[in-house]
Amino acid sequence: MSGLSVVGSFDSVFAQALAQTPLPGLPGAADRVLVVINFQGGNDGLNTVVPFGNPDYYRYRPSIGIPPSDVLRIDEAVGLNPNLAPFKRLYDAGKVAIVQGVGYPDPDHSHFRSTEIWQTATPKSYATTGWVGRYLDEAGLPKDNLFNGVALANVLPELMIAQNTDVPAIDALRGYGLNSDRNSGSRDAFHEFARDTTVPFRSPYLAHVAEIEDHAQRGAQELPKLVAGYKTQAAYPATALGRSLALAAQIVGSKLGTRVVYVQHGSFDTHVTQKQTQDRLLADFGSAIAAFYDDLAAHGNDGRVLTMTFSEFGRRVAENASRGTDHGEAAPVFLIGGGVKGGLYGDHPDLARLNMGNLAFTTDFRSVYATVLERWLGRPSLAIVGGAFPTLAALA
Amino acid sequence: MAASTIAPASYRPPGALDAARALEPYSGRWDHRLAAHLLRRAGFGGSPADVERLAAMPPSAAVESLVRFPDSSALPAAPAGLEVQPLPPRGLYRGFAQGMAADQSTVDARKAFQMQNNRTRRQNLIAMQTWWLERMISSPAPLQEKMTLFWHGHFTSSPEKQTTAQELLAQNQLFRAYALGNVRDLTLHVSQDPAMLRYLDNNVNVKAHPNENYARELMELFTLGIGNYTEQDIRESARAFTGWSFQREPDGSGRFVDHPYQHDDGTKTFLGRSGNFSGNDVVQIIFEQPAAARFFARKLLAFFVYDDPEPQLVDRVAALLGRSGFELLPVMATLLRSNVFFSERAYRALVKSPVEFVVGTHQLFGVAEVRLPELGALRAMGQTLFYPPNVKGWDGGSAWLNSQTVLTRENFANAVAQNPMMTQTADWLVPTLRTMDPQRIAATLTDALLQGDVSPAARAQLIAYLGGAGQAALSQLSGENVDQRVRAAAYLTMAMPAYQLE
Repeated sequence: MSGLSVVGSFDSVFAQALAQTPLPGLPGAADRVLVVINFQGGNDGLNTVVPFGNPDYYRYRPSIGIPPSDVLRIDEAVGLNPNLAPFKRLYDAGKVAIVQGVGYPDPDHSHFRSTEIWQTATPKSYATTGWVGRYLDEAGLPKDNLFNGVALANVLPELMIAQNTDVPAIDALRGYGLNSDRNSGSRDAFHEFARDTTVPFRSPYLAHVAEIEDHAQRGAQELPKLVAGYKTQAAYPATALGRSLALAAQIVGSKLGTRVVYVQHGSFDTHVTQKQTQDRLLADFGSAIAAFYDDLAAHGNDGRVLTMTFSEFGRRVAENASRGTDHGEAAPVFLIGGGVKGGLYGDHPDLARLNMGNLAFTTDFRSVYATVLERWLGRPSLAIVGGAFPTLAALA
Repeated sequence: MAASTIAPASYRPPGALDAARALEPYSGRWDHRLAAHLLRRAGFGGSPADVERLAAMPPSAAVESLVRFPDSSALPAAPAGLEVQPLPPRGLYRGFAQGMAADQSTVDARKAFQMQNNRTRRQNLIAMQTWWLERMISSPAPLQEKMTLFWHGHFTSSPEKQTTAQELLAQNQLFRAYALGNVRDLTLHVSQDPAMLRYLDNNVNVKAHPNENYARELMELFTLGIGNYTEQDIRESARAFTGWSFQREPDGSGRFVDHPYQHDDGTKTFLGRSGNFSGNDVVQIIFEQPAAARFFARKLLAFFVYDDPEPQLVDRVAALLGRSGFELLPVMATLLRSNVFFSERAYRALVKSPVEFVVGTHQLFGVAEVRLPELGALRAMGQTLFYPPNVKGWDGGSAWLNSQTVLTRENFANAVAQNPMMTQTADWLVPTLRTMDPQRIAATLTDALLQGDVSPAARAQLIAYLGGAGQAALSQLSGENVDQRVRAAAYLTMAMPAYQLE
């Protein structure tokens, strides 16, 4: 939890809106999964979706600009970073929507605050829950399912902090379990002790600790059994992202009732010699996401998994003297897979009209969330994103 | 399934604060339960003997014994065998940054160099983490190490930007030297610290191309907090820090260098004042802001007392900081001695961090050495020393607790209980073991590990697990089986929720 003070007004708006009638269910929405990939550290959008047709781009980036001949062309104005070849093939197959120029008003340039804004969807206040957490709370999912949401990370991201849903954070399947459970006596005793909160002291954390211990034991007992039958059928890169997406495909393919999976990738914080770092991370992303959809398709799951990427901000338009870029503003968001109507959405930010050296956003990030919530997960977005934002045609 | 209680809006303890008396010296009942509370917060928990020693003193003497650091010079001041990060052979990376193509032998040589480089980096990190954890476990001045940990999570730097182990070690020694020193002086030293200069890019902050990274984080995360400065203040103070850089020495350490020719000598307007300010001036002006005292007060309270402290309490601690001129020793002496610190609201009101959990368990079971797999366990619990997750440091509190981290904590506790030497190193357990009495063994375990903070039902169950109320039950088992029962009982005591709380 952040150390920032909590503003109550947002949560009460949220509580009121909860009382609204939900949208009628979308057909098939109950089987749908959202995978969210966080490009941590601020990915440079301009060298990801490259405006190679614009001479200003090369003027701002004399040494790190990507030459037109290297760009994987989408049209005569923009194309993809050359390290994204497998991802470009997904695009060419109509499986990728690129929403250009995504951001929010009065952008914050701090990693922490901007990450928090993207994850809580509250640029003007400090919420204690994440936007996915609020979805998990209000979607009417089975309360006894321990895997409604799963974070593939060793620390639970703010995005998945909920009021009433415990989201397990799983770093890797291996080692996910209590060693003492091999002995039935200690297994049963742990089960009782972890639930014993009738202690001679009060602590604001006590009930929370007890509940997490109970969930941890039960979840770890159940998860390996639930996913054991799954056979991975794609060659993932031997990287952290490759391993995370392989596990995500396994969870999706094992019918755990999981609705949202969180995956992280990075760090993209390329202040100095940007090219090496970004090239490596984008190449990793391209091959991992292609393997992920191959694996999903081999199990007939590709149509029910939508993947969304985000990053806390794009980067400054002009390169700095260290062949890097500083914290910026708007950047593209990718929507991949199920339900996607491939193509470019939103306007590419205008390089001739910068906001103090930064790209001005053309699509509010909450419009992207609203699109995913309403057109994919079949839930009203008003309360979750804290306002009425138009949805995009990027999803069917 | 228990009623769901996940993520309340705030983890501030229930009940009302008596603000007027909050910082007055505590004069209530003093026992080993409160002595253990003090030692968990001002240290890592210690052994039952350490707790008894504090409980036998008056509270004022107990606090004094912690804030006046005993001599810790007998401990190794640095890890043994740190290697100097190798430099690439001359010309190996010619044309690399420009993306120029290289022939196969050059590519192979680069790969070999990279592997050597990574191996050194990994070995050094292991040596550093082991050294510091063992220091925390064995230091006669636990609060010195606890404050070093506090500053490590506050003024964050990590090896992510190729910072050397020697530079991070120097930063760690700086935190230790200023553990309860002057916060303003420490902030100035941190601003000139090579690991920090590199981590937040001030080494490339020069007059012609100002880089705002350090100036921004200095105010946002290190001293004032959001809302107490403007974007313009960031740009102006970045100019004041231009030219502050460092030079790498042959032994891998860094030396602060102020390059006057890269310093912007123009007039800056910063937080309402104008002048040809240097980085030094910026630090002085920051600490003249009332927001600075409140910022550190809130952070100290959340780390040492309870989460989300009331504004009235923050203001009172901020006033102490103001009166002491940011000297921390008298402030911490007052805080650790206070009514609010020893109140029931503060008792076990915080979640142990992974480092506190691991170090405290070592102290309880008398194990001074840290082994390699424990470093991996700490990572899986979410805390890698010398590697904070981002410039904000570790979030702490409920963020420490999820299925993965709790499983790793329990498995770590199990491994400690199963260590073959445990029944000898935990010297407090030995005399009771000889009695073969389940009731006495259970009482010893719950006293040593939880100060008796256990429900009657759990106590009864632990006794039943050990073989029941009668002495006969354990006596009838083979020695091996008795040993296993006691180890499992020790583990199960650590599995009780209270053990996760400090």
